[in-house]
Amino acid sequence: MTARATWLAADRLVRRYGGVSALDQVSIEVPPGRITALTGPNGAGKSTLFRCLSGAERPDAGRVLLGGRDVTRLPEHARARLGLARTFQQIAVFPGLSVADNLRVGAEQAGRLPPARAAAAVAGTLRLLGLDRIADHPTSALPTGTLRLVELGRALAADPGVLLLDEPAAGLDRDETERLAVLLTALAGNGLAVLLVEHDRELVDRIADSVHTMAAGRITTDADGAGGGPHREGYREGPDGGSVADGR
Amino acid sequence: MATPLALDLAVAGVAVGSAAALSGVGLVVCYRATGVLNLAQGAVAMVTAYALRQTVVVWHWPKVLAIACCVLVFAPGLGFLMDVAVFRRLQRRNAGTAETLVAGLGVFVLLIGGAALLWGLTPLGDAPSVLPSTPLVAPGGLRLTTDTVVDLGAVLLLTAAVGAVNRWTPFGTMLRAVVDNRRLAELSGLDADAVSSVGWAFGAFTAGLTGVLLAPGLRLDPYGLPLLVMETMAVAVAAGLRSLPLAVGAALALGIGQSELTAVHLGGGPAAVLQSVSANLFVLALVIVVLIPGRLSVPETASGLLLPGDRPRSPLTRILLQAAALVMLFGPLGLRGNDLRLLLPGPALALVLLSLVVVTGYGGQISLGQAGYAGLGALLTGAFAGGAVPGVPALPAALALPLAVLVAAPFGLLVGWPAIRRRGLALALTTFAVGTAMSRLVFQQPYLTSGLRLDRTGAWGNDRVFYAVELVLLGAALLLVRALHGGRPGRALGAMRDHEPAAYASGVNVPWLKLLAFTAGSALAALGGGLLGLGSQAFDPNAFDPVLGLLWFAAVVVFGAGSASGAVLAAVALTTVDAATTAGVSAAAVGVLALLRGRLTGGRGSGAVAPAPSPAGQDRPAAATDGAVVPGVRLSPLGRRLATRIQARGGVR
Repeated sequence: MTARATWLAADRLVRRYGGVSALDQVSIEVPPGRITALTGPNGAGKSTLFRCLSGAERPDAGRVLLGGRDVTRLPEHARARLGLARTFQQIAVFPGLSVADNLRVGAEQAGRLPPARAAAAVAGTLRLLGLDRIADHPTSALPTGTLRLVELGRALAADPGVLLLDEPAAGLDRDETERLAVLLTALAGNGLAVLLVEHDRELVDRIADSVHTMAAGRITTDADGAGGGPHREGYREGPDGGSVADGR
Repeated sequence: MATPLALDLAVAGVAVGSAAALSGVGLVVCYRATGVLNLAQGAVAMVTAYALRQTVVVWHWPKVLAIACCVLVFAPGLGFLMDVAVFRRLQRRNAGTAETLVAGLGVFVLLIGGAALLWGLTPLGDAPSVLPSTPLVAPGGLRLTTDTVVDLGAVLLLTAAVGAVNRWTPFGTMLRAVVDNRRLAELSGLDADAVSSVGWAFGAFTAGLTGVLLAPGLRLDPYGLPLLVMETMAVAVAAGLRSLPLAVGAALALGIGQSELTAVHLGGGPAAVLQSVSANLFVLALVIVVLIPGRLSVPETASGLLLPGDRPRSPLTRILLQAAALVMLFGPLGLRGNDLRLLLPGPALALVLLSLVVVTGYGGQISLGQAGYAGLGALLTGAFAGGAVPGVPALPAALALPLAVLVAAPFGLLVGWPAIRRRGLALALTTFAVGTAMSRLVFQQPYLTSGLRLDRTGAWGNDRVFYAVELVLLGAALLLVRALHGGRPGRALGAMRDHEPAAYASGVNVPWLKLLAFTAGSALAALGGGLLGLGSQAFDPNAFDPVLGLLWFAAVVVFGAGSASGAVLAAVALTTVDAATTAGVSAAAVGVLALLRGRLTGGRGSGAVAPAPSPAGQDRPAAATDGAVVPGVRLSPLGRRLATRIQARGGVR
């Protein structure tokens, strides 16, 4: 996988639903080679920000920049073709396709790779995620943890520059979460820009290079919206220095 | 004594409007109580009308007794049966829209097939009238008849009664609770099944009443009345599947409008257009209301469409299917004379069904209007061959057919464009409306179907040669579809079918792909339709009836929507059964199979549809797995109270 340096940034995004501001002048940067985490309580605007970044939703004001290019007006599939990949909070795979075909959709449709390289990317991603043994299995019958990997594989097979992950650890057991942490750290080490929306504070504390906390449509880096949690201001830490998950 | 013509026409329109209003009220109430738009409404109306005719004309029952039995016992009983036998188990496991639609179509097709078996396809002109049409003298010299007054009175009374029950009785409270959130209501001890049963019985009762009221005015046959009643879905959709007064108002307005338009006289070409419009105002209204964005704010499951039981087959089943299809396809080449002629439609129909495999099976887009594109293919082939297209000389059939396919293909955009933002029920209704409009406003208009030439000359005049030509074209289409399905476009279609948001996120240009799928579908259907027309050597609008479109859709689902060889087998089976038995057998068989299939595969769940059991700790309910808790559903005050109560007790999940 050749990660190229792509920088994703949001510039003073505003999104209102009715009279409520879901996003109020939110700016965030997702630099290459880093894992950027976004946390905060339910309703803080994390999901809205995520959707505005991915292109599933248009902001009312502000800009989204991908690799220096203004992509605010581009639909989601066009952003995907510029190297933006995402996963979903609720597992989103194509149950009617085999595991390998799920990855092929990612590799082919993003259109960043010529056919021969796409096939190689699919094979490489299958191996990387340990899915090569079930490559030709139908996706419909796989357990949750494996489905998360298939979805991640679909995103990675496109050889993205930026990876947006919406609660990737939801539904994973501790071993699977551990493997995910190692994998994400390695991907970021390889130059990928990763944005992680995650409730699992332990995972965030362990792998994130910077943590942004949202509350009421704003980024409030100095407060933990859940109340009573540890405050981490401008938190920045290498992948080796985090606390190890030791059960809840 | 003379009243203005407009007033007389308005009174005449009220009769039709009242019948449509009844049906509309039934559709809305049933939808509110069950969450299912009853596609079989028209078939129930038709069957009840037949039952009344049977009891009165054949068995000589006293009319009052017969009416009471048919409308108050038979029709509601049918609705109750539909609920218990089919829809309740779907609701129990929160089946998706697609599955419920297919079940509704199964009931529809079964009732139509049963009626055709029992009473034949010949239209009967002796449906008994329910009410005497004694002239009444109204103030101002208005010419009224008793039936109009009673019709209108019944509609208003029924609407008021439903409104009152809904608002002031415990049952109404229960109904609103179940409508808001079925699972929540059940958890608080409400019998949601009872509410559904009442909804179905009431819907069927209004359908039956509509049927017996409308039947005397037209010739009763298994296809005509159901379609007419299905057109009244316009009224229900216009009311947002919600408001009864709006449904009644829309029905009366359309009825009166239709009646008034007959008084408008234009000369020349516009006259013919106006006439076709005024005769089909409900169809036009249906097209318009389904195309208005947001009118059908039906909660849809987030994940795409994988039809019930549509999972990969074992290699052995696949080989057996293909072998059976091949035998039945090539068998007729050994036949001669009339036998061969009866089986001529086989490969042509296979092409039409193949179009459904591409659009619905591969692309996940429900299309109930494919008969319209088949008809368009036949019409255009005939027009090009007959020189009826201005500026184009009469062409031989071998040229007219491909030209017709080319011209028909872009018409796929008619439904492809709306399909970009629609799914499930909304898309089903849109495709049905467009297909019906094509049939009513084009195929059945003499001024548009004159000068067609579909007779086969030269080598194609020989049935065996023509059959071979059909086989070659079908073979070519199958190869093309297979190449498409196995490669990159096939995977993109599968992604769009299985999970549209994830397809977008993967870079699939979903809008473009939908347009492409519908265009390819309309081209295939037009090719099949053109061959159907050339096979019978005439343009018969009834061969492309919208009701047939529904039957074809059900047949494709029964044989596996994702399987090209299944579609071929379905087509030759339909053709052979039609040729070997009386009318109605094939439809009834498809209906039974559709219901059985939903039932057999249902137990194990269309688990394939739901990507995964929803992981714990999420702040959003899983729309894909849980139809009852749909994000964005507005709760009534009672529903909110229930929700807080249940959450206070420790949550639903």
